[in-house]
Amino acid sequence: MAFIMDNPLSTTNSPEQNELDKKLWEAEDLGGITEDNNRMPVPVVWLLLLTVLTAFAITFPLWGQRPTALIYADFVKDLDKPEIQALSDAAAIEKIVAAHKGDALAFQQERHPVTMDELRALKPKIEELQKNGADLQDYTVVGVDIVLANFEGNFKSGAHEIPAIIGGQLLKNGERQRHQPWWDDGYTIDIFYVCLFFLGVTLVVKRLPPSSWQPVHGHEH
Amino acid sequence: MLKYLFAKNEDIPAGSAAIFWGFSSIVWFVIGTGLGSFNAAKLAFPDFVTGNEMFAFGHMRQVHVHAVIFGWISMAFGMAMMYITPALGNTKLWSEKLGIWNAFLWNVGLSLGLTLLWIGMTSGREYSDFPWFIDLYIAVFMAVPLAINVWMTVLTRRTQGIYTTNWFFAAGVFMVAIVFIVGNLPEWFHLTGLTEAYLTWWFAHNVLGLWITPVAAAIAYYTIPKVTGNPLYSHRIGHLHFWSVVVFYSTPAAHHLMSAPLPEWLKSFASVEGVLILVPAIAFVSNIMLTMQGKWNMFVENLEVRFTITGVLLAIPLNMQGGFQQTRAINWYVHGTGWIVAHAHLALLGFSTFLEGAAVYLGLQTLMKRKLYSLTLGNMHFWMLLIGFSIYWTSMTIAGLIQGAGKIYEVPYIDVVIAEHPYMIARWLGGTMVFISNVIWLYNMWMTAREGTVVPAGRLPHEIAYER
Repeated sequence: MAFIMDNPLSTTNSPEQNELDKKLWEAEDLGGITEDNNRMPVPVVWLLLLTVLTAFAITFPLWGQRPTALIYADFVKDLDKPEIQALSDAAAIEKIVAAHKGDALAFQQERHPVTMDELRALKPKIEELQKNGADLQDYTVVGVDIVLANFEGNFKSGAHEIPAIIGGQLLKNGERQRHQPWWDDGYTIDIFYVCLFFLGVTLVVKRLPPSSWQPVHGHEH
Repeated sequence: MLKYLFAKNEDIPAGSAAIFWGFSSIVWFVIGTGLGSFNAAKLAFPDFVTGNEMFAFGHMRQVHVHAVIFGWISMAFGMAMMYITPALGNTKLWSEKLGIWNAFLWNVGLSLGLTLLWIGMTSGREYSDFPWFIDLYIAVFMAVPLAINVWMTVLTRRTQGIYTTNWFFAAGVFMVAIVFIVGNLPEWFHLTGLTEAYLTWWFAHNVLGLWITPVAAAIAYYTIPKVTGNPLYSHRIGHLHFWSVVVFYSTPAAHHLMSAPLPEWLKSFASVEGVLILVPAIAFVSNIMLTMQGKWNMFVENLEVRFTITGVLLAIPLNMQGGFQQTRAINWYVHGTGWIVAHAHLALLGFSTFLEGAAVYLGLQTLMKRKLYSLTLGNMHFWMLLIGFSIYWTSMTIAGLIQGAGKIYEVPYIDVVIAEHPYMIARWLGGTMVFISNVIWLYNMWMTAREGTVVPAGRLPHEIAYER
């Protein structure tokens, strides 16, 4: 059962093993049913590839993902400015959004428009979280509520005193070791998972005789 | 049949257990769809049967759902396993007696569980509404004995290889036992909150994905090569199908909770896997379609092939819907609407029921060695089932889109109820047609057992379907 890697895209079996498999394949009667050894048709392979690409493209969180509290942090600061308070609500929100057009978070702010009433309701909650030193990226805005929603990320535990060095920095207990960016919510795991799956299935089917060989079924069913 | 409960195993004729499972499944199908029709009538005509809480929709819906999943679908699977597993291993069922006891205890446990649901004793967890002690009974007296019989039959086979169908059967009984035991942990240990929500949907998703979907597909891998006489197109694609079911169906549970405060990474992960459910679907459909090469006339002429291929074709819209409706963009619109109800019926009444129907038709005729009593009634059953299901699916999909629009645009609820009323009537008509078709089926199979023409030795029932 050794792996022969002469031509791994055809078969990883030895010629002797393939001969044994072929004989068994043609001789064995599985309740009157037989099987062929066809490869997957090329258009179906393309369809599978398209499916995998679509899976990542369509679930990418451009749509439907809730905003984090972080994207409104600068907005609520602007609420106290006299020039904003002097304007009507419609003009005020327009001015606030325009003032942050060049921000790093502008793309997400555009995806999740907000009203002045909502900002007023969110303001004390965001300020309270900031006062407590919370990372606003971990909090999701649901209507006018702010809830803890991102449980991802390891924290340096106080249970042991082994120093943790991440990215060249020595972390203290309670500090975050890793933070997942908003655009990568689960995708690295998925890429790893999908790659392992296709590798596993490829290894399995390459233990069969090559698809260029087809069994001859000599009996009627 | 009950006389065999206390007979010696060697005195029980081969196939007895499968016949017991098969007839039980049809009876549960009649009961389950009858309850469905009753429930649909309550939604179409709000004044229909009021005043008694036991007949309230909240009670009756759970009884309908569990009668169909645990009675019709799972017992039809048991039937298929009892006769296909040994046939593919050129051997006998490991224990006919265990099979008969298993079917008996299945019917007893299910009757008890449904009665408790009916009187209002429920865990309230979707697809696992039975109280915890019934769940324990299902695990110990229903799922595990079935798994033992299937596994022992596979292990004592007289072939070196194992045919594709038996991979799915053996894996299906193993996976459903795990799903059942782990998925019901919240009931046995009173887990609450998000943990309960996640485990509830982990169970509900996987009872579909690791039990109903793979076992139904396994039936097609048997019936099409068996009845058409064609070899299965590709053993290799069978591998891709099998492993992609195990890998991609087991992981997307969180996509049922896209609006819940679960970690976003878990929802994204589940959503990608949810789309990748299309991988096993593509492998399965292409393999069966290509196996049909040169025999497409049998799609018209042969009842079992027609049932099977209809089920396989329905896997296409099923998985297109299933793959994409769980993405954030679409889930936002259809979540909590009749669209999901339509999708669930596409899975259970469309895709899987047609495959199970093929197994029960083929199995009962083969095991009883009797030709179908009436091919006309068989055809009538097929068309009423298909048309009734199509009416149901279409009307509920439209109703779901109306509800989605109402939800998004904050239309007053009562206006949405009025707008969807015609579709509720259509749903009732479609569901009732399905129920009546199953009564016809039960009669036809009963008459087949009593008066069906004996099939000559060495021939198969479908070969003489058109001979008088």
